[in-house]
Formats: sequence, structure tokens, C-alpha cells
Amino acid sequence: MTSTEKEFIQLINQHQKIIHKVCNLYLTWQEDKEDLFQEITLQAWKAYSQFRGDAKFSTWLYRVSLNTAITFFRKDKKNAFIASVSEIPDLVHMGDKDPIEEKTKAMYAAIANLSKIDKAIVMLYLEDYSYAEISDIIGITANNIAVKMNRIKVKLREATLKNFETI
Amino acid sequence: MELDDLKGMINQKLMEGSPTMTENNFTHILKGKASSVISKIKKSLWFEIAGCVLVVFLFIGIALFSSHSSLKIYSGVFGVIFIPFSLIYFYLLKKINEFDQSVLPIKENLHQLIKMLEDFTRRYFQFNMALLPICFLFAFYLGYNEKEPISVLDNLSDKLRVTKSVYIGFLIGYCIAMVFGLVYLTKWYIRKLYGKYIDQLKVLLAELKVD
Repeated sequence: MTSTEKEFIQLINQHQKIIHKVCNLYLTWQEDKEDLFQEITLQAWKAYSQFRGDAKFSTWLYRVSLNTAITFFRKDKKNAFIASVSEIPDLVHMGDKDPIEEKTKAMYAAIANLSKIDKAIVMLYLEDYSYAEISDIIGITANNIAVKMNRIKVKLREATLKNFETI
Repeated sequence: MELDDLKGMINQKLMEGSPTMTENNFTHILKGKASSVISKIKKSLWFEIAGCVLVVFLFIGIALFSSHSSLKIYSGVFGVIFIPFSLIYFYLLKKINEFDQSVLPIKENLHQLIKMLEDFTRRYFQFNMALLPICFLFAFYLGYNEKEPISVLDNLSDKLRVTKSVYIGFLIGYCIAMVFGLVYLTKWYIRKLYGKYIDQLKVLLAELKVD
């Protein structure tokens, strides 16, 4: 194993949470998540020679992960993106009555129904990236990100209420 | 029920059920093969390049060693045409490799990916269509003007008692059917492989262009 490979493995190991989060956000089924996890790791490795350290590794890895997840499509119907709350395995058997937990699940389901692009913006927003940083990763202006984020919040509020009632 | 109120909880939920990977797991993953559309195009391109090289050697070989002048010209032209084809495929492969190693902003990445896929599918279609006139018109012209008799074809023609009008009718019908068949089949094949994917990417890009 080369020193670059070792260095990369150490870095990716330390930042694996990013890849797990992206996989969980974009896909439902475990098998698909594993495929996407492998794809992101391989993509990051291929591009690692271009990583010059002028950005944080985590930001760079977000960019690789989101690009890979957004362009990753599965043909099988069962692997299609979540279309309704009832399709989220986690929500099918909800026994607990904790309102915060239920609200979180309703919000999570609402996020799962967003478009791939909106999901990417939400993911970065959840990680406390500024609009300027999100704009760098997405490739549109910070103003547009702010506008989009406001719309997403409204969409999520409405969908969460609907999901919460369903639950 | 605002997103900001549930940030921490959602972040936690995004990690639920994720196995902790070790450095050994990552070492194993790096030995695996990618299954992205870019990897598929790379494989396709290598396959096309290998095919082109084979055709170049085979047809130039026939051109050098055949005793029929029509076969010499036909194979020579066919062989030579595949040399620039191979070079263009190599160029596409180089562009794809460069793209594969880059980490662009999402919008630019989508734009480049769509452009690359459209370039690839366009070239693939053009190459296939460019071969049609060579395959048919040129071949028939050379065959018609061949001075040395080709015994196999002559024997077959005698056995089937083919008249000149039947022969011409067959050739015209054959050309029309093959050209339409090949144009349709090539379009269908390209559409089946990449068409839907390109459409999906365009929808994503459009979302980033709206505002």
C-alpha cells in the first residue's frame, strides 16, 4: 500500500460519517446504500490526487459524495426514491409516543421526499455550512441558495404537518 | 416544527443504522470496481477501441493479401477509416478520465456530465451511420466493377437463377431495410443505454437553472 493510499484511508475513515449520512439521505435500501458507499469511496479515491488541501477535507468530501449521490440512479422499482411516508421502513411500526421523536420522524420523511438537489442543500444546511459555502458546493449564488432554503423550509413545514397527521 | 428546531435530531437520525467501517474495510473497498455510468462509458469506449484496432488490422491485412481488387479497395478504405475512429474514441476516453478525477460544484458537474454523455452518444451514432454508405453503396459499386469473377457468388447466383431485375430489386430492398433497421436500432440502443439517464440529469440541472 502506498503512503498516499494510507493517508487517504485514514482521512476517509475519520470522515466516514459524511458518506453514511449522504447514503442514508439519498437511498432507502441497505443494499443500495452499500453500493453508493462504495461508489463514493472509489470516486473520492480517484479524485484524491486533485485534492490540494486548500479546502477542508470534509467540504471536499461533501462535494464528492453529493455529486456521486445525485448522479447515482437505480433502475429497479423497489429502489426508487421514497414516494410516501408509508414506504419508509423506519416509520412503518412506530410504537413510541415521544412527540419530539415523532416530529423528527415526520420531518425526516418530509426531507426524504425532497428532490435530490433540495436534499443536498438541506444536508449542508444541517451541517451548519454558511450560504456562501453551500453556494460553492452547489454552484449557484448564495442569494439563490437563501431563496431556495426558504422555499425548502416552507415545503418541509407543510409536509411535516401532513406526515405528522398521518403518523 | 421547523427544520432548525430539529437539526440535531435529524443529524442523529441520518446516522442511524450505519455500520462503523474500519481501515481494513476501506482497503477492501478500494480494490472493488466502480459501477457508475462513467465507468460504464469507459468500458464501452475500451470495447470500441479494441474493436477498432481489430478491424484496422483485419481489413488492412485483407487489403494487402486479397487477390480481388474490389476487396483490396474496400478493406483498405474500411481499415483506414477506423484509424481516426480509434483516435476520436481515445480523445473521448481522455476527456472522461479528466472529468472522473475532477471535483466540480454540483451544477457544473451535472452540466459536464450531460455534455459528455451527449457527445459520446452523438459520436457513437455518427460513427455507425458513417459506415453505412461505405458498407452498401461503395461495396456494391466495387462488386459491380470487379473484373475477377468471385466463384462463390457466381455459383450461388446460377443456382438460384437470379435475373438482373430480381437482383437489382433485392439490392434496393436490402439497402432500404438495412439502413432503416440500423438507424432505428442504433438510436434505440443508445436511448436504452443512456437516454433515460440523460433526461434525469437534465431535470436536475433545470432545477438549478430555474432561480
